[in-house]
Amino acid sequence: MPVFLTLLIAKSILRLNRLLGLGGGSALPGLVAETLDSNILAKLASRIPKGSIIVTGTNGKTTATKMAAEVLRQAGLEPITNSGGSNLSRGIISTLVERTGLWGVVRGKIGLFEVDEAAMPGVASAVKPTAIVVLNLFRDQLDRYGELDRTASLIGGAIASTSASVYLNADDPLVASLAKYARKPEKVGYFGVNHSSAKKLKSDHTADSIHCPVCDKQLKYSKEFFAHIGHYTCPTKDFRRPKPRITESGIKLRLPGLYNLYNALGALAVADTAGVKRQPALRALEQVSAAFGRVEKVTIDGKYIYLLLIKNPTGFNQIIQTFLADAKAKKVLIAINDKFADGRDVSWLWDGGIEELTGKKLDVITSGTRAYDMALRLKYAEVKADSESDLDKAVKKFLGKVKEGETAYILPTYTAMLAIRKMISRRAGLEGFWK
Amino acid sequence: MKLTIAHLYPQEMNIYGDRGNVITLMKRAEWRGVRVELKQVGVGSKFDFTKADIVFGGGGQDRGQLMIGEDLLKREKNIRQAADDGVAMLMICGSYQLFGRGFTTIEGFEIKGINVLAARTVGSEHRMIGNVIVDSPWGRLVGFENHSGETILEAGQKPLGTVVKGYGNNYSGVHEGAVYKNVFGTYLHGPVLPKNPRLADALIQAALERRYGSKAELKPLDDGLEHKAAEVASKRPQ
Repeated sequence: MPVFLTLLIAKSILRLNRLLGLGGGSALPGLVAETLDSNILAKLASRIPKGSIIVTGTNGKTTATKMAAEVLRQAGLEPITNSGGSNLSRGIISTLVERTGLWGVVRGKIGLFEVDEAAMPGVASAVKPTAIVVLNLFRDQLDRYGELDRTASLIGGAIASTSASVYLNADDPLVASLAKYARKPEKVGYFGVNHSSAKKLKSDHTADSIHCPVCDKQLKYSKEFFAHIGHYTCPTKDFRRPKPRITESGIKLRLPGLYNLYNALGALAVADTAGVKRQPALRALEQVSAAFGRVEKVTIDGKYIYLLLIKNPTGFNQIIQTFLADAKAKKVLIAINDKFADGRDVSWLWDGGIEELTGKKLDVITSGTRAYDMALRLKYAEVKADSESDLDKAVKKFLGKVKEGETAYILPTYTAMLAIRKMISRRAGLEGFWK
Repeated sequence: MKLTIAHLYPQEMNIYGDRGNVITLMKRAEWRGVRVELKQVGVGSKFDFTKADIVFGGGGQDRGQLMIGEDLLKREKNIRQAADDGVAMLMICGSYQLFGRGFTTIEGFEIKGINVLAARTVGSEHRMIGNVIVDSPWGRLVGFENHSGETILEAGQKPLGTVVKGYGNNYSGVHEGAVYKNVFGTYLHGPVLPKNPRLADALIQAALERRYGSKAELKPLDDGLEHKAAEVASKRPQ
């Protein structure tokens, strides 16, 4: 089918979606376009004047990509980016459909796409990126992705299939080890944090990759930040933390937490590969607010509600740290769904450092399809909770408990976040999904 | 009263929240006034398993299994002696496979097991993923499985139970797990013990009886939340 026709059909679906108010509809036009023409991604991506950059990893893709997009935008590079978090090939195609005119002219200069780990081989071979940035690899929805080592080899395979330059997180041993896949070693760069006052949580049990990727010996850490992130060396000297070219000096952020600092480093890596100078990039980073549903603050009837997405144990621990840093916040709603997009297996709740909440005198409500699983996890950490499986009722009950002027937290999994966001956006005026 | 729980290879075999089983055993013992000492047994560390009261091993990645394989073989005699002596043990997924005869990967590579359970595992093309329900002498068990190894029990090897939903030991979906004396092997993650408190208590009870002789009566706990969570899990799609 000619590209013109595919575009015409996909664009009509995009419009119809918007007209009917079916949310962003971010995957459907792409899905249809891909069904009509299996090479459509390659065809559309090849028209982007300055090529494309891919951001991948298990945690922080959406936020890092949003940060990088701001940097590129301010540098006048007009990025084309899948900001809705729809990060399979169909989501990227949807973005390109929207940004390509019927006659095939692309609005924008450079592509910037967050890509799901498992989708990397297909997307990388079609998009032929100029650069790939890998943020981190934590255990994440093992029922969907299988083992972490397999995820690493998928990304590795994608790296090996292109001549892209590669930026890796030096502080994540499994990510740093992906350098071996690069066709040209001189095209590999690293980013990392040299100094941080952040201390690893006592009950952080999420370190997945603490063994040497070369010889399987346990790595020695001189600094441990969180999970398996830190400064490491293999005792046999066959593997050590590479020296990062991009580090944290001079970064100022509006977003909390060490994990967001790593997202910012990922964005600086994107900036570097796109030829944006460090100073203007740093200035752009200072202006970035949170990405959709990741860390959002809304005001409802004078109550300050933070919405923080949780999806895997490492992310959960980071969010717990953020929540505990806010000493005045005592009320929290944890909403755990087990739909496909959340991961059907909720075993990961037990890997989270929930014991950090013990003895903190919190007022907790659990909700979602697995409300009782979450309450049970809390029970074994000696934290009492109320359970209300129905999200609508739970949110109402929760908002009823929060007083005017008080700050409270909602921690949902992905599909629970979408539902809760819909409920509270009616009352608080959040920006649309597709912005 | 005091119990010693040995957590086998916590660094390498820990992938699906299985640490929750250790938390559950510790809390359910402590809530009955039984003190618990937790020993982490890693590759190369010295430990006599006949001195343990409960031994726990979790699921791991293929690489984790390869890393512990050799070390586990060195402990075969000691662990089998402990199992014969009635030490309570719970082995999940990857650890369950290596407590049997061994695991032959799909490429034909063999990781030897330590023969506590008469079960052999072979890698397969099928990935058996989803919610599982199993009927067992310890009640209806719920959990989540995620494995591609198919385990076949030898004649005379008792299973943990029969599969009501899901696959269990292999693609045929008939039996799940294996039991020898107080050793339990299973594919159930979830983790298995929090939502199946009867199984958790069976392990604690067996450990107390072996250690303190007399018939240990476990004080009942309020398991309302445990049962609600199990009921919800049993109704979720596979």
